[in-house]
Amino acid sequence: MSTIEDLVAAGAISRIEVELNGREQAQRLLYGTPDFIEWLRKLVNGADPENRLGQSTAAEQVDQLFHLFLSGGPLIHNRQFRYIRAEENAVWELKTPDTRIFGWFMRRDCFVCVFGDWADKVKDHDLYRGYRIAIRRLRRQLNIDNTLCVEGVEPGDVLSV
Amino acid sequence: MLRGWSQVTSFQFDIGSRARNAGRFIGRVRDELLRALSERKKDDKLSQQELAKKLDVHRSQINRQLTGESNLTLRSLADLAWAMDMEISFELKKPVVEAGQNQPVTTSTIGHGQIKYIDGGKRRASLCQELAVAPVAARRGNESLR
Repeated sequence: MSTIEDLVAAGAISRIEVELNGREQAQRLLYGTPDFIEWLRKLVNGADPENRLGQSTAAEQVDQLFHLFLSGGPLIHNRQFRYIRAEENAVWELKTPDTRIFGWFMRRDCFVCVFGDWADKVKDHDLYRGYRIAIRRLRRQLNIDNTLCVEGVEPGDVLSV
Repeated sequence: MLRGWSQVTSFQFDIGSRARNAGRFIGRVRDELLRALSERKKDDKLSQQELAKKLDVHRSQINRQLTGESNLTLRSLADLAWAMDMEISFELKKPVVEAGQNQPVTTSTIGHGQIKYIDGGKRRASLCQELAVAPVAARRGNESLR
């Protein structure tokens, strides 16, 4: 049985942080795999989709999403407008207009980002199933059982605020 | 350590203060519109379809603006607030710095380079924007929707 500390110590995941405003405290936790951190580095270096839809860059969209997540902001306005969506196999999707992030919740309010990709590419090539399978395989590889994987599909199962 | 993985225990996703300010402001405006629409939908059963009808545009246009998939201009923001019978308040103010609060990062990983604080970091150089949409009806009493 692995713990979060074991996974961090083994280099399997790293904590992801963004700057919080003066009066904010982190209400949730974000982690990422090494490949996901590489994707974030590409965003920082200016990677953007070919036909960007959003008014802000992909890096700005992801920073805004991470800030909202970490500061405990609302991730769901209603069924139609939401930053987060449950997939099958205990996989969740975080969304911005131009990006999609796939991962799983180790605990309530504690998300591991595994894959980041452009929204258009994910939708055009229907990559959902592939990402779900790859995340399940990674969890098996890391010996992650249900002590570090929230199975529920309701927002209340994975978010407390 | 797992083979092939370099150990990074913490990663600061720092896109620079200018980009951060822009992205979070745009996101906040959109979130505020969605919050207001949810409130109107709950209280007055105002639908996206009705919003589109009031503004004489297709529903998909409203949808794209609210999902952030098309640009939101000041005009479209004002129109949406009008159609929801909400009032916009907008203010620019200097940030208040108090003892013990988070301090901004003083370096940037992208183009803008080192950020210099001439007062030793006690005060942020950038202005802070605030935008909130409040129900006009609350101010006007029981005036009905136009």
